[in-house]
Amino acid sequence: MGKLKNILMLVASLALVAFAQSEPKNVEDIAFSHAYLGLEGGEVYPFGDLIDATDNTLYGGLNFRYSYWENVDGVVMFHYTYFQPRPDVVPYDGVHQASGKLGLDWKWPLISPIVVGGGFSCNWTRADLDDDVIKDEIYNMPGGTLGDNETEFGWYVRLNLIAWNFKDYRVGFNLMWEEIWTLPKRSNMLYAGLYVERKLW
Amino acid sequence: MKNESLVLSLLLAAGVAVAQVPAEMEGMEYETRADGTFLIGGPTFAFDRVMGAGGVHSESELWSPVKLRDRLLFNRMSGTPSWTPFEPGVWLKTGNELGDLIYQDFITAKDDRPENRTPILEGGFRSPAYMGLWATARFFQDDHFCSGAYNYRRDMVDGNYTHLGANWAMFSSAYGGLGYTNSLVNASVLAGEEYVWTYTASSRWIPAHYKPRVEARADIKDLSVTVAYEDIEYENQYKSENGERKEVNGSVYYKCGKACEKGIFQIAAGMAFRAVDDEGTVYTELEEDRVAWPFMELRVQPISRLTADVIFGVNERDWLVQDSIQYNAPAPENMGVVVGVKNISGTRLNPLADTKEFSNHHEIDLTADGQMNLIQAYASYVDTLGGVVALGGRGSLWAEHGAESFETEKYETEWYSNSPISVRYGNVSRINDWIKGVTAELWLNTWYRDMFKFTAMAGFEHINGPIDEAEVTPAEFYTGFMGDWLLNKTFKISHSIRYRSDAKWNLRSENPMVVKGDWVWDASFSQMFPKYGITLTGTLMHVLADEVMETVNGGYDRIRFICQAKKTF
Repeated sequence: MGKLKNILMLVASLALVAFAQSEPKNVEDIAFSHAYLGLEGGEVYPFGDLIDATDNTLYGGLNFRYSYWENVDGVVMFHYTYFQPRPDVVPYDGVHQASGKLGLDWKWPLISPIVVGGGFSCNWTRADLDDDVIKDEIYNMPGGTLGDNETEFGWYVRLNLIAWNFKDYRVGFNLMWEEIWTLPKRSNMLYAGLYVERKLW
Repeated sequence: MKNESLVLSLLLAAGVAVAQVPAEMEGMEYETRADGTFLIGGPTFAFDRVMGAGGVHSESELWSPVKLRDRLLFNRMSGTPSWTPFEPGVWLKTGNELGDLIYQDFITAKDDRPENRTPILEGGFRSPAYMGLWATARFFQDDHFCSGAYNYRRDMVDGNYTHLGANWAMFSSAYGGLGYTNSLVNASVLAGEEYVWTYTASSRWIPAHYKPRVEARADIKDLSVTVAYEDIEYENQYKSENGERKEVNGSVYYKCGKACEKGIFQIAAGMAFRAVDDEGTVYTELEEDRVAWPFMELRVQPISRLTADVIFGVNERDWLVQDSIQYNAPAPENMGVVVGVKNISGTRLNPLADTKEFSNHHEIDLTADGQMNLIQAYASYVDTLGGVVALGGRGSLWAEHGAESFETEKYETEWYSNSPISVRYGNVSRINDWIKGVTAELWLNTWYRDMFKFTAMAGFEHINGPIDEAEVTPAEFYTGFMGDWLLNKTFKISHSIRYRSDAKWNLRSENPMVVKGDWVWDASFSQMFPKYGITLTGTLMHVLADEVMETVNGGYDRIRFICQAKKTF
């Protein structure tokens, strides 16, 4: 039944028309007319059964934001995280994760200075193995599949609270919910971080 | 001159195309279509039958001049892996079947681990022309569907059998080369190395390592020439067998040019050819090691409303005729009515294909005596209402005698590391009986400027006769809904949700394999920067559907996400 409901909802959404758009005609000129580079850092909280899998951890990285439409910015993020597994049976200390995200931020005037956004993420992972560990020997242990590179995609939504603007600089909070499309269950995490951003042009 | 699907041409005439969700690899457009039976074994094999086409064969089985630059994989003309150079630009593509473990692996028992999910990878460029000269290079590999007979394939070959990774991808290709383009000439020479798994009549996958493959193309005014040289290595580690095939194939084609298109008689002609030299153990054979296939296309248009098309090819072994007569009936403005008759007759659907397969000491004859005849009568209409809605429909009756099929003498199940594969022995044969079908399709399009397009379509087909003797019993019913938005001319969202009823592989395993009917949803999102020629696209493919095998010994059709960045010069 759940599937049928999804299908009906999708069909209904397909039939919807995109409503009037207020963008000026030269919308193509807005793209990249402004660009910003930011540094961000914060904490990652696993959710759901992922709480049993990894500890809370820290993340940090770079954000690139560019104007796309009048009220919409494009965002590219590169974040690094080191996840430490909770079960002791995992035969290594942690996993390197490099995450690339691509999405859009919508400056909804009604809730300004909060900006809402969403997009896709691509997470590359690899276990932090000691030199003497042989990948094939740990493959069947918990976490063994991460001895080789593994990549999984997902999506995120975020709230971006602009706290302070000064000349070319901006400081703000980023609250981001991410789901990566893993199995047997999806993996959910909450990112909470602080960023400093500088206008490039 | 193309014998295109009428459905498509009418839809195009109405200004509304079918789904705009991009296929994961060019040549695999069947994976985003709603209007028929599309069963995917992997990127190098699919049963792709459009409902309105009639007959029991799938499109890629039938040779036609529009496929001259497709790849011949066993008996099918395949759009994948394509060696057609892209437009100038630089591009990157990556993706994955969803469902790797990542952190779930810490809390998942070994026995509960899902099967490994596998990626798609591509990167390439084509330079802008300098004095007409350009350079291109491309690496592309599709690891999706690699679960198809995985254990069997993994241990059959030495090493990973791909350029990158260890998934024994169905194909992995890399080439580079130079081209020259001016107002009269478009020519290129490409050379590369390629790994391809080909699905055969016995239902085995045969590995072929092209080292190298070289392809030269030249279009000079209305003349097109293609020549490929392939040095192909075969191996089977189970039996310590090795073989090598050196092949030259290609075509010469003289198209009907602008001057010719104005005449009452429009003529095009050409010749396709192959020559092979086999050494050691090669798993297929081409009779006399060569085939030449001269063909001619003729269009007669005595009055503008009446068109007769004939494609005719013949050589000492085979002949094949594809013809149609179509009448564009007078109709009120904003309406189109077309009636027509189509016929396909011949001794072989693909006269260029190999003539024998050798499988585990069995010889499989890939040619059948006699001939097939398919005749189809159709009528279609399209009506546009107020410039925002179009309604269309198409009905047809078809009958086929002598359809190409397979007469199985023996089925066997072979086990490789606890995984079975089903193989069959016998010969290609004919269904010496009439199979008749009736089809009815309806569609509705609506659109708002270039911002929004919506299509709803449904089709039904009833088949009478011994359809269980055909390779595939196609789906009886389909429905599809496609929606495309273009927001602010720079953001594109394309959706497609569709249903196909049960289809069945009748002859590839002892018990026919039913591919259950199911819903599928595809969605694609593109950020575009027209000023900079940049497009960023993310596509979710085959969501909602149960992840099933659609072909005997084929891979699982899994939910996958593909992203691509492209910059055109």
